[in-house]
Amino acid sequence: MRLAPYFAYAKKCFLGRSAYRFDHLMGILSTCMQFFIFYEIYVALYGNNSEIDGITMSMVTTNFVLSMGLGAVFSPDDYFLPNKIWDGSIATEFLRPISFKGRMIAENLGNALFSLVFHFVPVLVIALLTVGFNAPASPVMFLLFILSAILGFGVLWSISFAVQMTSFWLVNIWSLITIKNVFVNVLSGSMIPLWFMPKWMSGVMSFTPFSSIYFTPVQIYLGQLSFSEIALKCAVQLVWIIIIYFIGNILWKKGQQKLVVQGG
Amino acid sequence: MRNVIHLIGMYTKTTAKSWFQYRVDAVLKSLAVFLREATGIIVIWFTLLKFDSLNGWDIYEMLFLFSLLFLTYGIMIIFFTGLRDFGSTVRSGNFDRFILRPRGLLFQIIFVNSDWFAALGHGGLGITLFILSAGQVGIQWNAANIIYYIFTVAGGVLIQGAVFLVLAALNIHLLSTNSLKNLVYWNARKFAGYPISIFHKAIQIFMIYIMPFAFVNYFPAQFLLRKDDMSAYPEIFMYLTPIIGVVMYMLAYLFWRFSIRFYKSSGN
Repeated sequence: MRLAPYFAYAKKCFLGRSAYRFDHLMGILSTCMQFFIFYEIYVALYGNNSEIDGITMSMVTTNFVLSMGLGAVFSPDDYFLPNKIWDGSIATEFLRPISFKGRMIAENLGNALFSLVFHFVPVLVIALLTVGFNAPASPVMFLLFILSAILGFGVLWSISFAVQMTSFWLVNIWSLITIKNVFVNVLSGSMIPLWFMPKWMSGVMSFTPFSSIYFTPVQIYLGQLSFSEIALKCAVQLVWIIIIYFIGNILWKKGQQKLVVQGG
Repeated sequence: MRNVIHLIGMYTKTTAKSWFQYRVDAVLKSLAVFLREATGIIVIWFTLLKFDSLNGWDIYEMLFLFSLLFLTYGIMIIFFTGLRDFGSTVRSGNFDRFILRPRGLLFQIIFVNSDWFAALGHGGLGITLFILSAGQVGIQWNAANIIYYIFTVAGGVLIQGAVFLVLAALNIHLLSTNSLKNLVYWNARKFAGYPISIFHKAIQIFMIYIMPFAFVNYFPAQFLLRKDDMSAYPEIFMYLTPIIGVVMYMLAYLFWRFSIRFYKSSGN
């Protein structure tokens, strides 16, 4: 398998993003605004307490800046396949001598790399200069954080992949994607730090993939997990990627047989 | 006059018909809007299970604060969908068609299209939250309070309608105002459900004087709930919502009338 064409797609996406500077700037502003809003809400919630359940305010801040920053990087294009089915261009996609899924991953990675450099980093710098947040627990933990963050991206990507595949049957999946995003937003810890979820909810959540997207990397970054716990949590991330990707792939295979393209 | 009412009836019928074209999709869409908008509520509910109160506001008082926001938006969007989506009407050149018809422009824009998904999703959420919270927050629902509530909801609808009208008029000058709309309206709306007293001074000034969401829900809720954090603001703010709504809407309408004269078609 030659990788050059996929690399070209990734590069195209990276460069394509830099064309919309104003929109991009607005995106950074919007992430920062959201971060400061949640920061202020938690300042009000903490009041005079220096810590609640052993969680300090600076840990909460770190959770928000990392998960919102990663959230900006982890933004797989949920409409990659649906749009192509909607306008019929999926037919020409199948004629190309490259893997459709490979192209999908390449474009998402190109986008993610752009956001990492030009969205995540500025947000981190702004947060650091204003309210500040915790340094990684140790250099080793920082490397493990990066590894786990990449796996987290894999989990989110495979969820998006599997949901997109339903568009072979449903055609218009705006509702489904919106509902998926509600689950991701609430349960992944980017809007409420998962330490503060009620006990019964944590139980329910351990059966879902959402907490392994951002919260596992954040916990590693803060040094809350021992090495054996890290190994276990990363294995859980890997298992989720495999299970969800497998389901998506079945839909992908069935969908291709079912595909009907209207018009010409 | 009867002719006008007949026309409104026809427009509503065609909108409803296009809505029911895809039934399953319509139901799913309303559910999706409902859930997406409920995200903030779910988050605050989980948070207050842990922390009990936010600057003195308990969970029911927070829900009441949120309910005003959703209810006013739900009512507003029945009338102002055309203004929200006015940018694309201008860009596609469809606005030219409106100009050729023998009816008022604003009348057509308002009644030709209503976003019933949003109206049901937001309005439904607003009503649900109101029912959940109205009996729990110690409000005496006497005649005075009910009248106050009706006027304040109308004021909140007008305030947001005025913002949409100004942004629509700006479209005529700028062609695209999406980024501006995101900045001043949608971003502000994300945190308009929280008591503004917890925020930085700059954000409070923005929410009171620039994009006055504070008058849509915070100050009206204060009139009915009388929380301690009201002491930071002039008492008169609690009574201004209907007046601000009417004044803002009138100014927005004048700006619209002024802008419309500059309209140049972009289509072909």
